[in-house]
Amino acid sequence: MDLGLQGKKAIIVGAARGIGLATAEILAREGCDLAITARSADSVKDAVAELKRYGGNVVGKACNVKNADEYKEWLQWAVAELGGCDILIPFASAGGGQGSEKYWSNAFEVDLMGPVRAVEAVLPSMVERGGGAIVLIATTSAGEAMGGAQAYNALKASLVTYGKQLGLQHGKDKIRVNVVSPGPVEFEGGNWDMIKGTMEKFYQSQLRQHPQGRMGTPDEIARCIVFMASPAANWCNGSHLVVDGGFTNRTHF
Amino acid sequence: MDIKRKIDVIRVNPEDWPNGTPAGKIPDPELGYDLIPVERYTSDAFMKLEWDHMWTKVWLLGGRSDDMPNPGDYICTEIGKESVLIVRQEDGSVRAFPNVCLHRGNRLRPEGLGNAENFRCMYHHWTYDRAGCITRIPDLDTFPQGAPPEGKLPSYPCGEWGSFVWYSLNPDVEPLETYLDPMQQHLGPYHFERMALVRDVTVEWDCNWKAAVDAFSETYHVQGIHPQLQWYLDDVNIQIDCVGKHSRYLVPFAAISPRVAVPSSIPPAIYDIMVKAGMDPAEYEGRVTDIRRDVQLFKRKHGAAQGRDYSELNDDQLTDDYHYTIFPNVSLNVHADDVMMFRMRPHATDPDKMLYDVWVFELVPDGEPWPDRVKHRHFKHGERSIGQVLDQDAYNLPTVQKGMHADSFKGLWIGDQELRIRHFHKVIDDYVYGPNGKPRDAG
Repeated sequence: MDLGLQGKKAIIVGAARGIGLATAEILAREGCDLAITARSADSVKDAVAELKRYGGNVVGKACNVKNADEYKEWLQWAVAELGGCDILIPFASAGGGQGSEKYWSNAFEVDLMGPVRAVEAVLPSMVERGGGAIVLIATTSAGEAMGGAQAYNALKASLVTYGKQLGLQHGKDKIRVNVVSPGPVEFEGGNWDMIKGTMEKFYQSQLRQHPQGRMGTPDEIARCIVFMASPAANWCNGSHLVVDGGFTNRTHF
Repeated sequence: MDIKRKIDVIRVNPEDWPNGTPAGKIPDPELGYDLIPVERYTSDAFMKLEWDHMWTKVWLLGGRSDDMPNPGDYICTEIGKESVLIVRQEDGSVRAFPNVCLHRGNRLRPEGLGNAENFRCMYHHWTYDRAGCITRIPDLDTFPQGAPPEGKLPSYPCGEWGSFVWYSLNPDVEPLETYLDPMQQHLGPYHFERMALVRDVTVEWDCNWKAAVDAFSETYHVQGIHPQLQWYLDDVNIQIDCVGKHSRYLVPFAAISPRVAVPSSIPPAIYDIMVKAGMDPAEYEGRVTDIRRDVQLFKRKHGAAQGRDYSELNDDQLTDDYHYTIFPNVSLNVHADDVMMFRMRPHATDPDKMLYDVWVFELVPDGEPWPDRVKHRHFKHGERSIGQVLDQDAYNLPTVQKGMHADSFKGLWIGDQELRIRHFHKVIDDYVYGPNGKPRDAG
């Protein structure tokens, strides 16, 4: 099956590691041009070098999504550098945390306003280009308990609603919006890698809850995200795809 | 080494802190790469040599000075087969005596702390004053030979440093200051007298006391039995220094080991360091690898307002573990705000057993009340947890000791990361066999 991604222009926010990097990698391999960002200039530089190996146009610049002005500037820069935008996938997250009110403002700025500001920035280009695909990244922790009541879970949940309604509103412009919720994913330098090292019993207890006895890999999530972002999924709009190897108990009717 | 990243650890320039703890690297001694013979952990013969030539010759840690502030306050502590009574005198000095009645050899006091007007033996009520002089022998007229002619308990050398009281079983021991030198300069800036005891535990361990000293003398085992600490400290980029009889290593804390990938979120143990320093990790904008330096800067800036005087400590000391071993048996994890200290004591007769004392001290900020003294607890290994990290050490040691008894095991194969272990055994050799002496057959 041809995904139809050749020549598409994709903006990936938070592409230096984990699922973001894996997604950028598949898109690059499939022939997309990419604009990427991450917090650290070194990581961006490394990721750009890595992604350029596939021969497409890859541009990158460090940016702190929490800083709205800097972020908006970066988004304008990315659209201009690519000469338009067909695909938007914002990954950047402030991560979890409980106990300080600051976690709520962090999650609001990064996990929620990160995608919202990116959508606002790319919509004119997508409309002009006659369509586009946006994939928002939520989490299975939005639907099932994980790590206690916290901003990360709650604000990720808001993306499911936002994504659906965004898809309805922009269907007329042939802009599809879908949401992917990954289950626990393990990769070197990721949270579960650290939890495996620092809280081994808890980690093992989570593995036991997985039907396959393991966590997902970034690539297993990225392939589903890329599919949703590709013209091959052109009848998917307003969908919420849970990619978790069967980790969650709930039946999604 | 099996690492994922090369890290250039930021360290203080020792010249910037001329009056503080010497921070510079001391050139490593040439100690070779021979096996360390296993008999010294397992044989009665070596245990005897060690007792005769080392334990009875060195200065030993008796206890904490603030456990005996007033005249008559005493600490009764044991080392091997000996029990020692350390008593605060009327003039504020300290004296130490064998805790043994001159009459029939009964112990005068059980191990522990107390205050006494005098020391009266339970058996026949022979009585000694605080200076150890006999003040009463009931029915003295029934001893035609009279009272023991010296009229008092023998005394041991005894002194105080660093808010600790020290004693020696050796009447001819060098002065305490000479023995400890230069630990005073190294540890003085921490002001242990500003710290209160918050934990006082003795655990009976089934291993030789040296196996326990060894366990706290290298960070090589972090990747083995303490994997979780790799998201807390840098076990690779440490500075090892042999300092006379004593030794130390400097371990960056609030750091990520180069053996693991840098995580994107703040590890729980480093999160706790930040909270303890008064920082809100949720507010932190830097990278995980910047946290160590930022905690140092934060503590430097806000320490005084928190009643914590860090003025004599260098920046590294505000985060890092300056870990010292005071020969032979005191291990100290020294930090700006706390000290976790271990004393390893040999069993009286069995080389396979020891006593492991854990003392934890915490800085009492200016203006805060001095906490009540915590109660001493004594138990056997395995009966209670002593915390995750120490449990990991503790559960490993009995299997080390058992393994060392195998006929096939000839000795310890020690690498560069374990230089302090090699140095420790060299100092023991110097006592047991004489400096530059050739080991006699100890088995």
